[in-house]
Amino acid sequence: MPNLNINGRNMSVEAASDTPLLWVIREQLQMTGTKFGCGAGLCGACTVHLNGEAVRSCQTSLADAVGKKITTIEGLSAKGEHPLQKAWVAEQVPQCGYCQSGQIMQAAALLSKNTNPTKEEVVAHMDGNLCRCMTYSRIQKAIMRAASDMRTASATGSERRAT
Amino acid sequence: MNKHVTNLAPETTDLSRRSFLVGTAATGLVLGYAASGVDHALAAPAPANFEPSVWYSIAPDGLVTVTCGKADMGQHVASTMAQIVAEELGASWKDMRVQLASNDPKFNDPVLGAQITGGSWSTMMNFDAMSRAGAAGRIALTEAAAASMGVPASELVVRASTISHPKSKKSMSFADVVKSGKATKTFTADDLKAIKLKSPDQYTMIGVSVPQLDIPLKVNGTAKYGIDVMLPGMVYGALVTPPIRYGATVKSVDDSAAKKVPGFIKAVTLDDKTTTTTGWVVAVANTYAQAKKAAEALKISYDGGPNAKLSSDALFAEAKRLQGLSDSGEFFVKDGDPNAAFGAAAKVLEAEYTTNINIHAPMEPMNATAEFKGDILHIYSGNQFATRSGAIAAGAAGIDPKFVVMHQMWLGGGFGRRLDADMMVPAVQAAKAVGKPVKVIYTRENDMTMDFSRPLTYQKVKAGVDGDGKLVALSHDVVSAWPTQRWGIPDFLSPSVDKKGPLDAFTVNGSDFFYTVPNHYVRAIKNEMAHNATPSGQLRSVAPGWTFWAVESMVDEIAHATGKDPAQLRVELLDGKGKNDGGAQRLRNTLLAAMGLAGYGTKKLPKGEGMGVACVSSQERATASWTACVAHVAVAPSGEVTVKKLTVATDVGTQVNPDGIRAQVEGAALWGMSLALFEKATLKDGGIEQTNFDSYTPLRMSQLPEVAVNVIANGEKATGVGEPAVTVVAPAIGNAVFNAVGARVRGLPITAEAVKAAMKA
Repeated sequence: MPNLNINGRNMSVEAASDTPLLWVIREQLQMTGTKFGCGAGLCGACTVHLNGEAVRSCQTSLADAVGKKITTIEGLSAKGEHPLQKAWVAEQVPQCGYCQSGQIMQAAALLSKNTNPTKEEVVAHMDGNLCRCMTYSRIQKAIMRAASDMRTASATGSERRAT
Repeated sequence: MNKHVTNLAPETTDLSRRSFLVGTAATGLVLGYAASGVDHALAAPAPANFEPSVWYSIAPDGLVTVTCGKADMGQHVASTMAQIVAEELGASWKDMRVQLASNDPKFNDPVLGAQITGGSWSTMMNFDAMSRAGAAGRIALTEAAAASMGVPASELVVRASTISHPKSKKSMSFADVVKSGKATKTFTADDLKAIKLKSPDQYTMIGVSVPQLDIPLKVNGTAKYGIDVMLPGMVYGALVTPPIRYGATVKSVDDSAAKKVPGFIKAVTLDDKTTTTTGWVVAVANTYAQAKKAAEALKISYDGGPNAKLSSDALFAEAKRLQGLSDSGEFFVKDGDPNAAFGAAAKVLEAEYTTNINIHAPMEPMNATAEFKGDILHIYSGNQFATRSGAIAAGAAGIDPKFVVMHQMWLGGGFGRRLDADMMVPAVQAAKAVGKPVKVIYTRENDMTMDFSRPLTYQKVKAGVDGDGKLVALSHDVVSAWPTQRWGIPDFLSPSVDKKGPLDAFTVNGSDFFYTVPNHYVRAIKNEMAHNATPSGQLRSVAPGWTFWAVESMVDEIAHATGKDPAQLRVELLDGKGKNDGGAQRLRNTLLAAMGLAGYGTKKLPKGEGMGVACVSSQERATASWTACVAHVAVAPSGEVTVKKLTVATDVGTQVNPDGIRAQVEGAALWGMSLALFEKATLKDGGIEQTNFDSYTPLRMSQLPEVAVNVIANGEKATGVGEPAVTVVAPAIGNAVFNAVGARVRGLPITAEAVKAAMKA
C-alpha cells in the first residue's frame, strides 16, 4: 500500500497507482476541502501543494505524489489562520465558496516565494483558477492584503531578531 | 402585462396563486426530517431550546440557530435570513448561527408555498416573515424576563442579546431567560400579523455589512457541499451520458470490459419515468475512480432518437419560421394596435436579436447521494427546488413523494442549474439496484453536455417612430424553448392576454418594460423543436437576460436613427405615465445615477472607445430591482472588444447587507459580461459540442474589467440582487461597441468576428 505524506502525517492508502491524487484525498482520506471541478486541469478547484508547488490534484497520479510532501487546504495552517485565510475573511471573498480552497492554495504557492507581487504577477499566477461566482476582484484584494500582512509580520520578525 | 405577479406591496398576496404542493409530506407523518449543512459543533443542542418560530431556536447558551429554507448557493441568503431575524429579535450578531432546512413543508417559502430558490425573490419574500419571527421571539423573551425580574415588560430594553431594565439596572441575557424555562409564549398566525415591526429608522442590524456566517467555513475546507457527503457503506456512481442531449435510448450495454475493473459492481441503465433523462447509464463501483474507469469501459449502443440530426442552425431556422407565422404563440403584452401605428409611422425599424445556448457550469459538478432506509428515501444534494426535486426522486424510485427526505447542503454554485432534479434519478436508481447508498458525481463533460441550458433565443423587434421622433409602436416576438413549462407545474405558467392558453412568462419577462409606448405587442412563441432537443432551464436572470438584450439594443438603434442621445431617449420614455408610474421614475433615477457615476458624455473618448448605456427592470415587472449600466469599451481594429469599466447602479429599496449586495451585483454584472462576450454553446448532431472549460470559457481573472457598483437604498421594500445586474450588461456593451466603432452586433455572444463584420457593413 502506497504511503502518502499529507499535511505532515504519513498515511497509507489503498488505491491503484494511477488513481488521481484528488480522489485519494477526497474519498479515502475523506479530506473534502479539496474540490473536483473539471478533471482536466482547466479550473484549479483541486489545487494542492506538492513539495510547496501548486499542482492540480486531478492531474497528479497517486504514484507521482508518493514520497512528496502534500499540503491541502486542511493543512495550510493548523488553525485555518494562514494570512490568506484571514484575508479571505476580511475581504469577504467567497460566495458559493466551492473554488476557494483551490484559489487559496494557488495563491499560497505564490506568496510563499514572493510576498510583494505586482497585480500583473497575481493575475498571471491565478488565471488558471476559475471562479464561477466571479469573485476575482476580491480574490485580488485578499491576496494583496495577505501579502502586505506577511511583509509586515516578516519585517517585525526581522526587527525582533535584530534586537 | 405580466399578470401572474402584480405589485408585491404591501402583503405580497398576489403571488399566492403560485403556491402549490408537489410531493409535500402528509401532515403529522414523522419522516425524520433533519437540518443539515451546518457545522454541528456550532449548532445549538436540542434539549431545552426555546423555539419561538419554525425558523429559529435559541439554546440555553444563548446561541440563536436560524434554519434557512432557501438554497444557499453563494448569495449568503442563510446569513441574510439570520440578519433579518436578529434585527427584530435583538440578538448580537456573534450569537447567530445558521443551518439549512430539510424539505419538511414547514420550511416552505411563506409566499411561494414551496421550497424553491430563484427569481431573486428570497429576501423580498421572506423579509416580513423573518422580521415577525424575530419580533415574536423578542416579545416572548421580554415577557419572560419581565416576570422573572418582577417589572413591567414595557419598561424593558432589548439589545445585543440582553434584556435590561434601566430603572432598576437589572438585566438578563437571552441565555438566562432560555435557561429559566419561562419563555413559552406561542404565536398564532394572527398574533404574528398583529406585531408592530420596527420602522427603518430603528434598524441597528439591517443595513449593516456584518460578516457572512458561511464564509469562515469556506476558507478552511470545512463547508460541506453535496459532493462531500460520506455515508457508511456508500459506493459511487459514474455516469455515461449519450452523445445526444435528449431523446436517445440505450439499445445495449456490454459490460464485459467493465467487469475487469477492480471494484466494479454493476452497470445500471436508467428507467426514467419522470422523463428528466434519456439514455443514461450509471457504472457503480466501490470508489469513484473505479466507477469512472468502469464507465469508460462500458460499450453502449444507442438509438439516437428524433433529435439526433439537429443543430443550433436548425433551431434558429425553426425559430424564424415560427416567428413568420401570423398565428404563432400567445400574447404577453397587447396594448393598443402596433400594426395600425406602423402604417402611420414616419419611420419603422426592424431587427432580429439572437442569443446562443448557454451552460450554467457551476464549479461543483452535479451530484446526489441516495440512501434507502426502511420506507424512507434520503437524498443528500445541494438543490434549489427541494419540493419538486423530492418528487422527481420519488418518481425515479417509484414511491410516494411523502417518503422522500431531502438533506440540503451548501451549493457549489447554483445559478438556476440546481432547480433541476436530473441528478436525483441516477443516484436513486443506482442505490435501488445495488442496495447500498450511492453517490453519483457527474464528470464536467456530463455536466456540460447534459445541462438544462439557457435556451437559444430568436427575437424580432419592430419599432415605429412618429414625425417628432417619438416611439409610438413596438412589436416584439420572442421565440425560445419554454424552460418553466417543462416543470409541469401549472401555477408557474401565466394566462396569455389573448386567452389562447397559458404561456411561460419566464421566456418573456422584461419585455413588459416601464417605457411608455402606446402601441405595444409582445408574443411568446414556443420553439417546440428547441424545447425537445435542448431541454432548457433557468439560468441566472432567465428571460430578462435575452429580452433586455433585444429591447435595450433596439432603443439604442431608435436613438441613433432619430438623432437622439440614447440615454436621453430612455429618460424621455421613462415618463412614468399610466401603468408605469412609480417604476419608471425609479428606473430613470437609477439610469441618471449610473450616468453620473460613469461620467457619461462628459469627456471625449479616444478613437475606438465608447460608452453605452442600458437600463432594466429585472427580474419581473412586479419584482424589479431598478438597474442601469454604463459600459466603457475599447474595440480593436480586429473587432476584439475589451471592457474597460462597467458602472452599475441598482435601486434595491432596502439593503440588508450592503457588502453582500455589492458582491452579488458585481458577480451578476460579470456574469452578464461573460455571457455577452465569452460564453457560447452549440448543438450539433443533437449534442452539445462544448464539454469542458477549454471549449466553454467563462470569464477569467485576466479578463476582469474595473467594476463600480452603486447601490441605491431609498427606503422602499427590499428587492433582489442576485440576478438583475446580469441582464443590463450585454446591451450596455453592445451599445458601447456601436458608439466606439459604429458596429451594431445583434447576436450574443459578441465576437470579434461579428464586430469586424459589422464594422465593414
